[in-house]
Amino acid sequence: MKVSRRDLLVWSAGAAAGLIVTPVPWKLLDDTSIWSQNWPWIPQPTRGPVEMKQSVCTLCPQGCGMRVRMAAGWPVGVAGVSSHPVSRGALCPLGFGAHQLNWHPQRLKTVRHRGGASAWGDAQAAFAKACKEGPVVVIDGYPGRAASSMLESFAQKHDGGYRVVLSAETRALTPYEKWSGVPASALGYDLENAKTIVSFGAPLLDGWGAPGRFTRLWAERAAGMNDPQLRLIQVDESLSRTASRAWQWVPVRASAESALAAGVARVLLEERLVAWRGPMPSLTLAEAAERTGLSADAIRDLARTIVARTPAVAIGNGIDPEIAALNVVLGAAATPGGIVRRSKRGAAYVPADAAMPSVRAALIDASVPWDFAPQTDAEVFRFAAWDGGSSRADWLLPAPGFLEELMDVPTAPTLAAETYAIAPSLTKPPAEVQSAAQFLGGIDPSLTPVDKIIHSRCGNLFHARAGTLIGREATPVAKIASAQALEEQLQKGAVWVGEAARPGGWRCELKEWPAAASGPPENLTATWSAPVLPPLATKLYQESSLREMPARRNA
Amino acid sequence: MSRNTLVFGFGVAVALVVGWIGFPRALYVRQSQPVEFLHKTHAEKSGVADCGECHALREDGAYGGIPAMEKCAGCHSERIGESKAEATLVDSFIKPGRETPWLVYSRQPANVWFSHAIHVKHGGLTCTECHASYGMTDQVKVYEVNRISGYSRDIWGHSMSRLRRAPHEGMKMTDCEDCHRRRNVEVGCLGCHE
Amino acid sequence: MSARYGMVIDLDRCTGCGSCMMACASENNVPPLPQATARTGLTPMLVRKASNGMEGGARREVFIPIMCMHCEHETPCVKVCPQQAVEVDKATGIVMQMPQRCLGCRYCMTACPYHARYFNWWDPAWPKGMEKSLNPGVASRMRGVVEKCNMCHARLHTAKEKAAAAGKREIDLADYVPACVEACPTGAIRFGNLADPNDAASKEARSPEAFRLLARIGTEPKVYYKSKEAWVRALAESKSGSVPEVKRVEAGHAEVQHG
Repeated sequence: MKVSRRDLLVWSAGAAAGLIVTPVPWKLLDDTSIWSQNWPWIPQPTRGPVEMKQSVCTLCPQGCGMRVRMAAGWPVGVAGVSSHPVSRGALCPLGFGAHQLNWHPQRLKTVRHRGGASAWGDAQAAFAKACKEGPVVVIDGYPGRAASSMLESFAQKHDGGYRVVLSAETRALTPYEKWSGVPASALGYDLENAKTIVSFGAPLLDGWGAPGRFTRLWAERAAGMNDPQLRLIQVDESLSRTASRAWQWVPVRASAESALAAGVARVLLEERLVAWRGPMPSLTLAEAAERTGLSADAIRDLARTIVARTPAVAIGNGIDPEIAALNVVLGAAATPGGIVRRSKRGAAYVPADAAMPSVRAALIDASVPWDFAPQTDAEVFRFAAWDGGSSRADWLLPAPGFLEELMDVPTAPTLAAETYAIAPSLTKPPAEVQSAAQFLGGIDPSLTPVDKIIHSRCGNLFHARAGTLIGREATPVAKIASAQALEEQLQKGAVWVGEAARPGGWRCELKEWPAAASGPPENLTATWSAPVLPPLATKLYQESSLREMPARRNA
Repeated sequence: MSRNTLVFGFGVAVALVVGWIGFPRALYVRQSQPVEFLHKTHAEKSGVADCGECHALREDGAYGGIPAMEKCAGCHSERIGESKAEATLVDSFIKPGRETPWLVYSRQPANVWFSHAIHVKHGGLTCTECHASYGMTDQVKVYEVNRISGYSRDIWGHSMSRLRRAPHEGMKMTDCEDCHRRRNVEVGCLGCHE
Repeated sequence: MSARYGMVIDLDRCTGCGSCMMACASENNVPPLPQATARTGLTPMLVRKASNGMEGGARREVFIPIMCMHCEHETPCVKVCPQQAVEVDKATGIVMQMPQRCLGCRYCMTACPYHARYFNWWDPAWPKGMEKSLNPGVASRMRGVVEKCNMCHARLHTAKEKAAAAGKREIDLADYVPACVEACPTGAIRFGNLADPNDAASKEARSPEAFRLLARIGTEPKVYYKSKEAWVRALAESKSGSVPEVKRVEAGHAEVQHG
């Protein structure tokens, strides 16, 4: 039988008609539409049980309480802890993307020596050799931790220095060191009891202190109120975010904050608006008006407004002795509502940017901001979890990343009372990483390791019988059953808060009016100390015009 | 009958055979579960009578689904039987601490939200209404995966025409909609989608 | 029994920090887009800046968080969608977008008076391994579809499931807190059921200082704003008669220009 072309066509027509009454076209349509919506390269979230764990963010010294949602053992989301006495439920915008940091493409995974790959063994050998050949300086960006104690002990044993990069908020308190003998790190601001706060350029609502510390206080006592309980006066060259929300914005010329502080102090003293008597600033009111761009009357009004509701306190941005002196004039030094002494610590830290003597090597902890460059020709061993780029360090050593190691959280800068918390690690670090403290512990096994130091600190807190443990409820330490119970509570997210500073306890003596500040003001919104920004930060800096990328000087 | 009609009919016949018999065979690939788990054996031997003993709701209401390896390890941390399946379980998964990669018959796409808690507690559904008497089978249910979509054959249902299927067969969106319509429970897109 | 979930955003409290933007992106598995600009970015929650137009010491600025307003009346995006990929959920009032139905025509983006919808210009991609940090409750989208704020409905689902497990029919509103509300450090964003007269957010929405954006076009948005400053309230409807244009510029800050 010959098969003709017509047969083929008729057969095909039959087949087509037949196919319509089979599942083929319908099922294929359905399946290909499903296939086209399930491209294998589109990542899907993990399926698995979700649990909430609590820890503390350790990316900067403020130590905000953090609840982390975990799925299949990985962090999938973060939120604040509303009962946390330091952060009061808030996190900084960058903190909300922190859980993704450990996968940042610039994560340091291997030891690097002068641009090439190396190994821990080589780094250890080089460091041990350096220690034998000369003094080694150790630089810490987050002093007060158990790890800091290890770093400090090591430096002392090896004739080197232990230096610290203090947070900008603490640095602003250094002028008081000279006048009272109390180190800046032992002081705090009692904002909770202040009625007027004059901020000279300090971004109190946008990057100063822990995110919730002042913002919550301000939200409760001032936001949206015509006659707020807390008056925020913001002195700023341009309309910053804080100035925008402040009760009063005082626009001044750039770098004229010092001059304004001096002018205000002069008015307060000349018109006897304060009880304090002492040296007068050398600047006259006319000169202050000239420098700030305000009229003399405006400065007088400002001075009167400041003392209309007391206690009043001034907060500067950067180390400004004249603003600090203004606080002494206002009677804010060593009184409630002003600057208080929260700890008995007597020794001041040596700042990392002070002149460095000649050393053989410098060891920089991962907590030191990336753009810190030690002024030295020595061999630099730089620990970091991420490579921020353009590092001039000889050794780049991969450290644990976000919530990958057990840490303790000492008193946050700016607080009026001491605090202590524990930040448990929530994920296992990759095999190749080691913290500076672990590294030194490997070189000198006589150093007490971090977990034992934390354990003994909990013991000390328990035996001192002072302060309160704030978790779901507040429990006085005196009522806690054992040091073990205290430590367990801390591991679960409770925070120990010391007793409020007693009035008095330290005295400020101003013998002569200080010279004006030197150096540029701090850029507090850029003090994120991790070398890289969380990936989602593109939402703030690139995918919208909300913020400008912070200017970062690379080491 | 003319030659054209015969040829046409032949075309129809071939299409019907290919479409109803050849196509399903080609479309689906049989895959085997990593461990041959027999529900009936477990029900009889260990006295597990209720589905909820292993397939339970968690505290927050989320469904536990197929139990994690630690549930199996509760009894099988060492071999307690003779079967090859158990040997695989203990040696390949429990001892090394690996989760068993079960092939899930009812796996839905990521954008589907199905809450067992709501259907069981509010809807009063029993396990067998959607999962038949799977819990009492003495054979591992065959897992066939659709080559194109990547999902189990149980989603469309075993029957290619979707006619005369059992009440529990098929887990496509239209199946959910049918049951919702019958029981007069209105949900909207938000009720079932992520 | 049906709810109308809405928000009241206190503009006197918003400091423009951006925490809500970050928390939203994290909760909804929005990919970081280093290749995007302010025009092509994907920000279901976006904080914009507006000013009173003056310079020098008289200048005042305000930050306005914008997200889907969950319009109730003649919802523009619902009306124009050829795919019926979006609907107003009857039980909650949430305008539910189904990215899996969307074919990417972007008609809804044109129709939305609040510019609250965003297009996936690229396939979502994360650096290697970062997929492990994705939120399990939220499905990924692919390139070519539109997405927007969905009032964190994954959290609503979790709350419903928790209520069901406890045998309750109504959710506990404390269990359903959208990510932006949770993140805001000053508590500027308040969330609640506008249908419940006793709800705190509902009461604030009825206060004299509350207003809605472009109220005169009648979309009945469920996101209210609140300010005691008259110039801020005037931004919602330009006093001079023309619609205030919010210009998004590639670099620099968005400003509201008064006509």
